[in-house]
Amino acid sequence: MSTDGLPIPSHTAGEFYVWLWWTSEGRGGVFDLAAPVGRVDVWVDERIAFRNPEEQKVVAVMTGQNPSASLEARAALAGGKVLQDLRIGVRRDDREYFVTLKGPNMHFQGLKLPQVVTEGGEEVLYERMHLYDEICLIVAGLFQEWSGLRTTAEWDRGILPELRKWVTGKA
Amino acid sequence: MGILSSALTVSRFRVLDPTLPEGWREIYRDRLNEFAFHEPPQGMGKEEGEGWCQIKNLLDTEFDDFNEWLYNGWAVFQLRVDKKRLPMKLFKATLEKRGKAWCEEHEVERCPSTVKTELKERLEHEWMVRMLPSSRVTEAAWNMEDGYVIVHTLSEGSVDAFRKRFFRTFGKKLAPWSPLDWLEDAKTVENLLATGAEPVVSLEDAAPLESVALDDGDEK
Repeated sequence: MSTDGLPIPSHTAGEFYVWLWWTSEGRGGVFDLAAPVGRVDVWVDERIAFRNPEEQKVVAVMTGQNPSASLEARAALAGGKVLQDLRIGVRRDDREYFVTLKGPNMHFQGLKLPQVVTEGGEEVLYERMHLYDEICLIVAGLFQEWSGLRTTAEWDRGILPELRKWVTGKA
Repeated sequence: MGILSSALTVSRFRVLDPTLPEGWREIYRDRLNEFAFHEPPQGMGKEEGEGWCQIKNLLDTEFDDFNEWLYNGWAVFQLRVDKKRLPMKLFKATLEKRGKAWCEEHEVERCPSTVKTELKERLEHEWMVRMLPSSRVTEAAWNMEDGYVIVHTLSEGSVDAFRKRFFRTFGKKLAPWSPLDWLEDAKTVENLLATGAEPVVSLEDAAPLESVALDDGDEK
């Protein structure tokens, strides 16, 4: 089947994931996103997967509690590896989501929804799809913020050097 | 289950030309019925089949009742694919025994290739008739207002089968969702595509493990 939609650049998601990880640590997890999203908390959860820059295959996976704080995770970045998957936790108001953003498409894997309704087919579907739309809205908001920064001169002048310092522990 | 319960693992697609035809409810009901899963005729051997079924039970393959699959702008259904697979090691061993038995019966040393083929086809047919297929289902939800579909799998093979059947059924192509679809401003998309890859740490600048100075804990 042909692909007639927008392209899926192989590098975009990996750069976004690193920025998300770095920013969530730097801001204590708090993001004030443009309307209609508003304030959300974002943190790296229990899985980070890396690939080599020229490949799509995952070569290193860090799991368990707080892998983002591990020496191995930062060393993988410092060694030139690229983020392939990132599991994040997201809180908006009192609703908490967990999802793995996977690969360049940013597929949602293992998305846990803060579901309340569990019985009645129609109601369950409405709630789950409403919550799915909400997590999409939040991830879209995060991606939009990153895209706005990535396409300005400030990215190369200020953000990327700071990010590199953080990666190598010199921040 | 996935769309209606437990964690979601989904591929997302944009419906190209999301406009719905006049009388779409009845049209799509009929199309779903036409492309629904139908049990293949039994006893023919290699029965394989695919088609739509309802999300709550893969044995429900009629879409006459809108309340079972159409929920206020969401259409939910699943693709069922049935396949029979021979246990190859056992099959080869049995075929070898039958070949030997034929040779003994006809007092010859080697089994001619035409006989081998005949024995193979006969055994395959015998076993296929006795076997039950394995069923794989791929759930999906189509947001008809916003023009996107989520498919509950990341398997390329399943996604491909789903997209092909979706096109045959509804005449609509599904384009893989790109993160760029989240950007409302075309200029940002253009600028982002123009940036190219800029690794956080390039391989040339990569630091050896011992030179990474982290201050979190004792691992220095």
